[in-house]
Amino acid sequence: MSTEEKLIILADGAKYDASCSSSGITRKNTGGIGNGAYSGICHSFSKDGRCISLLKILFTNCCIFDCKYCINRKSNQIKRAIFTPKEICEITIHFYRRNYIEGLFLSSAVIKNADYTMGKLIETITLLRTKYHFSGYIHVKAIPGASEVLIKKLGSLVDRMSINRELPSDQGLLLLAPQKNAQRIEHVMDLIDQNKNKNFVPAGQSTQMIVGATKESDYEMMKKSSRMYEKYHLKRVFYSAYISVNQDKLLPSLELPPLKREHRLYEADFLLRFYGLQVENLLDKNHPNFNVLYDPKVDWALRHMNEFPKEINKASYLDLLKIPGIGPTSAKKIISSRKYFKITFEDLKKMGISIKRAKYFILCNGLSFVNPKMLKKDFIAQNIILESKEVSEEKKGVQLSLFYEGE
Amino acid sequence: MKENKFIYLYEDSFEELLYIFDYLIKRNLTPLDIVKEKDYVPNLLDPTIFLKKETKENMQNKYLNKTSKKIMFVIKDIYLSNACHKELISYYFLRNALKYQETIFYRKNLKCVNMALNISHYVRRETHKMKGFLRFQEIQNHILYAKMAPENNIIFALANHFKERLKNEIWIIHDVKRHIYAIYKENKIYFLQEEKNPIIKMTDEEKEIEHLWKSFFQAVGIEERENKRCQMSFMPKKYWRYLIEMEDENENNCNWKNVN
Repeated sequence: MSTEEKLIILADGAKYDASCSSSGITRKNTGGIGNGAYSGICHSFSKDGRCISLLKILFTNCCIFDCKYCINRKSNQIKRAIFTPKEICEITIHFYRRNYIEGLFLSSAVIKNADYTMGKLIETITLLRTKYHFSGYIHVKAIPGASEVLIKKLGSLVDRMSINRELPSDQGLLLLAPQKNAQRIEHVMDLIDQNKNKNFVPAGQSTQMIVGATKESDYEMMKKSSRMYEKYHLKRVFYSAYISVNQDKLLPSLELPPLKREHRLYEADFLLRFYGLQVENLLDKNHPNFNVLYDPKVDWALRHMNEFPKEINKASYLDLLKIPGIGPTSAKKIISSRKYFKITFEDLKKMGISIKRAKYFILCNGLSFVNPKMLKKDFIAQNIILESKEVSEEKKGVQLSLFYEGE
Repeated sequence: MKENKFIYLYEDSFEELLYIFDYLIKRNLTPLDIVKEKDYVPNLLDPTIFLKKETKENMQNKYLNKTSKKIMFVIKDIYLSNACHKELISYYFLRNALKYQETIFYRKNLKCVNMALNISHYVRRETHKMKGFLRFQEIQNHILYAKMAPENNIIFALANHFKERLKNEIWIIHDVKRHIYAIYKENKIYFLQEEKNPIIKMTDEEKEIEHLWKSFFQAVGIEERENKRCQMSFMPKKYWRYLIEMEDENENNCNWKNVN
């Protein structure tokens, strides 16, 4: 099999991993090739609009596991391939020299057993770091069930090591990935977190969960995420909309991946990490799923209308963050600018702060953008839905109407 | 500030531009415009003055002492940008910076400050994007050669980035729009301006690697999630011309040949 054929098969097998970040390290070039870029660099964007920063490949797709949702599961009849460590190193260097990529993202199916696979990954990365003197970004996936010694060894060579949680609940994992063990996955996360320092996984760890493969609600999903952020200090949790690649009676039959739901989860995830909100602020047992029509922050604001409108020139940083359409960057800009002048709606525009959302929730110097009498919950909700990109695109050229039943 | 009706012309260098700023600030003048001498199209109405630096004083250091590093970086960014009336904008920005010092960055309600900071931001963003979108090709003698046509003159910042990254290589970055080359060899970068195009020979191995990259690019995209609009907003069409993975798309959609 030629290198190209292998590359196609093994990139195809790796593409469902969402993570492709290359940020957070300042690794120096030690006389060979490559260095880290703290902000991360995107080198290209694939046709699905996701960034390509790393050479994202599997070491092999020959797997002894039979996870129901996975394209590489044992019982699938697909083309199988395996790289040699040398091949991976050479492709990486070839691509890196030409500035196609920022580094390597190496994952693998489990071949023979976990330790053997882990050994192969270590061999590859060691070769790349020592013989090819590569100092660029490396992200590896830890193999579930590998021994601690090997995980520690690999962690000292790479910038990021992560292990996928796959499903938020232990029952879900047991149902769809019976050979994986929730406790052992979390044990690896714990191990990485305990050992993290500037020579061991300096860019931290991340994980991924599949959205819509099992029946868990958004509430359970977010609960799990926030617990993992707290316990293992993850840099990111990635959510990947379930794409139906296998037929199985245990799997839902979805025509299209639930991209909208995935999007809402990402939005909520940002609210947890940067806005100081708790899962309980957004969802609860009686209200376990996000509204697909508007984002979680608008949803929150509409349920707390008594807090609004907020005065831009007076509100505290945390209060500013609660306004839909204003994030940490905008809030900081507002705080630092209003010492020097009174901010008007005009100024917000000049400062690059969009008021498309915010206009229903703010006052500038006591003035409201919309007639204050109109600022009722239903009015705002309707307008926000009508202004959203999806609706305006669907209805392009058609008179907008709130009531479609009569047609 | 005194109004005056002159257009000031300067020789294309950052020092010369700062000298004009210095000249105008000392006399407290508001010029009609400040234009690069070689870009100026003469007209009958507006009188021009061509100023050339007369003192030995280093203008960059002078204004660095009067303002700050951060402010001077913004002015330098604007100098390297392709914005209209960039000289005038940066002149007003500098005047305000002398008055407000560091707090200038929070005074976006002032039109010139707002414009200046936006231009600077644009230049930096493009530099960052180009760090990713630049594509080297291996030519004769294992030299890496990359063409680009960015909106702003960002070759200096780019060269510094690759100096650290590709230490042991010999590489050339070619700004096709401005005919500037950055050539790196053994820890030194040389910049030169040259209108002639170099003769490039591509090896068969190079074609294979480009093919390998295209195959990877195709394989890594997920069919079910296709979203070309999203792709295009992150990677605008103006950069596609020198992106190897977009070659096939170029042939289908664009008439690059007519442009050049």
